[in-house]
Amino acid sequence: MVLALCWTSVVPTGSVSAQQAYQVELDAERVVRFTSRAAIEEFDGVTNRIDGFVAINTATLTAETGGDDTEFFFEVDLASIDTGIGLRNRHMQKNYLEVEDYPYAAFGGRIARAAPLSNGVFRVTVQGTLGIHGVERERSVTCDLSPIGDGYRVQCAFQVLLTDHEIEVPKVMFLKLNNEIQLELDFRIEPAEDTK
Amino acid sequence: MKSHILSALLAAMLLVGASGTVGAQQRPERFQRREQQTEAEMAVFHSVQAANLPTAETLKKGEWLFEISHRFFPPVSDGADALWGFDGPVTNRFGLAYAASDRVMLGVLRSNRSDNVELNVRTRLFEGGSEAVPVMIGLMGGLAWNTQAPTGAGADENESQQYAQLMFNALLGDRLALGFVPSLLRNPTIVDAGSETVFAMGMHGQLYVSEMVSFLGEWIISEDRGTDQKHDSGSFGIEFETGGHFFKVILTNQQLMNPTQFLGGADAEFTPDEWRVGFNITRLLAF
Repeated sequence: MVLALCWTSVVPTGSVSAQQAYQVELDAERVVRFTSRAAIEEFDGVTNRIDGFVAINTATLTAETGGDDTEFFFEVDLASIDTGIGLRNRHMQKNYLEVEDYPYAAFGGRIARAAPLSNGVFRVTVQGTLGIHGVERERSVTCDLSPIGDGYRVQCAFQVLLTDHEIEVPKVMFLKLNNEIQLELDFRIEPAEDTK
Repeated sequence: MKSHILSALLAAMLLVGASGTVGAQQRPERFQRREQQTEAEMAVFHSVQAANLPTAETLKKGEWLFEISHRFFPPVSDGADALWGFDGPVTNRFGLAYAASDRVMLGVLRSNRSDNVELNVRTRLFEGGSEAVPVMIGLMGGLAWNTQAPTGAGADENESQQYAQLMFNALLGDRLALGFVPSLLRNPTIVDAGSETVFAMGMHGQLYVSEMVSFLGEWIISEDRGTDQKHDSGSFGIEFETGGHFFKVILTNQQLMNPTQFLGGADAEFTPDEWRVGFNITRLLAF
């Protein structure tokens, strides 16, 4: 029963005939980092609060992985982002991200293709909907997945435009942000509970 | 007709099914969160200080706060000849504080008035209350030395002072923050050879019209000890804040800024012709 509940917590919807499902390994190091490089100052914000799953249509990642019968969904708890200064966190969360109304950033969609690199690493291109601040945008993002244990280490880097998500670009002193934010994700996924 | 209804029902079911596939803000139905959503940190006053009185707010562990504050001697009522007080001279204060934890701050203050140097510590004891009325309580105490005390009998041997304050803060309607600061001050009159302990009651409020702009007012009831400092201290003004700065501009009858000095009272009445301009600038730093 417990295993069944764990499975339902990560398995994709019934429309997907997945052969393998992976979930974010909560006990491993998780890093979601945004970096802003404005004219005078650069600062970043970090959180480890990312969770989600990937369901693929092959036993493990191969060059055949991808298509409509794959699925992924990840979300980040925005109120947990730490910029190093408490007051700046509060301003960012309340005035710009408006986390009371939009507490999570989420990205969900399907795997478009998985291209093998060297040493078992796959460069995976995913396509889906990125939702931040209540505004959704279709995005294509490339991540590298390296085999580690029964799962994979996931590393992604991509840019987000604040204006794409109707987030006001802060101009005030000490909270100057570039409209273009660099996002870096680094976490591990492990087989979902009943497939370990 | 029936076939139309069935078609519509089937279409609706398909749409419902489709909505359960992949979404961004809308989670897939079978994905359940395994971690609790982070709660935004509670705040009553945004700054650690009103015009003079402390709030129960503390900085985040590892943060530094640097302060420079001025009170201009000439009153605004001196007019254009004194540039409404900005010609100076001024009482100046530098401050530096460090958050040893999320609840404890250590600070040092130095005012050019009597070269008053102070070491202090503050702690946030409690935060809670209700969602409608958040409450925060803090405690602060300090030890000050007047390293260039005014001349007077016993002043050389009686230059240290101590104080302790309790800070009761509450937020009403998400906009109006109120603070009550009962305070004890040891040795308010350094020119006397003897020491006494006096009580002062501080009250302050701040109306946040936005996250970045607020209006503040402060009143400190001090005991009349028969000295020049026989008046209560009043201040009011405006505060601008960014993600790391607070900038306060005030009018006040109190020219002193260090706690062991202003808790003893003001030497001018709180009347418009005695109002002086002052400002406090603080900057948060994290290394």
